[in-house]
Amino acid sequence: MSTFWDVQEFVSAANRVTSFPELTSLMEAMSKTLGFDYFAMVHHVDVVAPDVIDLLNYPSSWQEMIAERKYASDDPVLVACQFTNVGFRWSDVPSMIVMTARQKEILRGARDAGIGDGFTVPVHIPGEYAGSCSFGLRLGKDFEDSAMPGAQFVGCFGFEAARRLIRTATLESGRTVAPLPQLTQRQLDCLVLAAGGKSDWHTAQLLGIASDTVHQHIEDAKRRYGVATRLQLVVRALFDGKLTFRDIVN
Amino acid sequence: MVTVVTEDNRSKYREQLAQMHRDRKKVFVDRWKWDVPVIDGEYEIDQFDTPSAIYLLSLCPLTRRHLSSVRLLPSTEPHILGSLFPELCEGDVPCGDDVWEITRSVETPDVPKKIARESSDRITVALVEFALLFGISTYTCTVHMGMVSMILSEGWECEPLGLPKTINGELLTALKMKVSPATLQLFRQRAGCRRPILEWETSAAAA
Repeated sequence: MSTFWDVQEFVSAANRVTSFPELTSLMEAMSKTLGFDYFAMVHHVDVVAPDVIDLLNYPSSWQEMIAERKYASDDPVLVACQFTNVGFRWSDVPSMIVMTARQKEILRGARDAGIGDGFTVPVHIPGEYAGSCSFGLRLGKDFEDSAMPGAQFVGCFGFEAARRLIRTATLESGRTVAPLPQLTQRQLDCLVLAAGGKSDWHTAQLLGIASDTVHQHIEDAKRRYGVATRLQLVVRALFDGKLTFRDIVN
Repeated sequence: MVTVVTEDNRSKYREQLAQMHRDRKKVFVDRWKWDVPVIDGEYEIDQFDTPSAIYLLSLCPLTRRHLSSVRLLPSTEPHILGSLFPELCEGDVPCGDDVWEITRSVETPDVPKKIARESSDRITVALVEFALLFGISTYTCTVHMGMVSMILSEGWECEPLGLPKTINGELLTALKMKVSPATLQLFRQRAGCRRPILEWETSAAAA
């Protein structure tokens, strides 16, 4: 059973780690202390890049399937992160989002790979990719409610340690990370309405501006992201956390 | 610039403080549905808005209007963590002349996000300048668990004071943040400011 003391130890160790292998073993050990078998600390993007966090120790059969079938962007647990900023049990996901057939398939796949219930801490940082830290259990095992408060902190501090390692690596390599494109408030206003299916004319009525201006705002936003279609623009804005599903669904 | 408002110079900033209390009501009561006292239907003012409270106000350079602010309380006097949520601390509530509490961090809801964000960045720089100037080694705060990642990402050197607990339906936690010259350097870089940004008019200077 984990205590606050374990969490404190973890926090001070996480602040000291100097490499990703070190952070991975620390996360592995701490997941066990919390009563879990697996962890996954990831940015919710389907790309491999030096500034993308992707640390996990799920069974390799499951990791391969995630990569092969491009499950990352549809994983219902990661999608559910859009709707909360505190940790949640995977068994609560069906009450948080309406799952598609593909998402149900993903959950079945995880079960087949031997992964049962778990707990996920979302990490929302303005201007960065959405991320999370998950703790999973072997099928048939259960975790106590008392593991959750500690897991909340381990998720947050673990993720911050990973961010720090990436920052340090970037500084040392002299590489500059392109900042995420920024959208103006007006561009976002137009994008939210467009993503919700409103025409330029309707958006213009709602915002009290000209239809041409709406069109121009969306075109400018597309240019900032370097994408060609509105659909791509919406997807990128969702990935970056500029938009949330809730903005659009409501 | 970020203005320090203390008991001594408070009379000079009546209008800005009134705006701050109105913005606090709009954000904490109207938006976040906190159950806190509202005065005259428009000002959020609680039992900790005492003469001991010090406010850091980020004001619009043109209009001198309130953009964002925080309230600082000495840990040696009644404060939120010590008086309302001591159970969030596993051990004793941190207390000492060098320990102050940050509460009621607020941005005015009426300005574009970008301006609000820049203004908040200035507040974080000002918090560290204030601490280094006046011998504060540690800030404490009580926050919603969902805010912790964001606070860590700002670069604060944080430690949890206890495990998070659900209180009135919200998952809350207490943090302590150590302040050092390195913190100041980091925050200044991010906010893009190279000079001190705290300003402080004493009542004598004002007269």
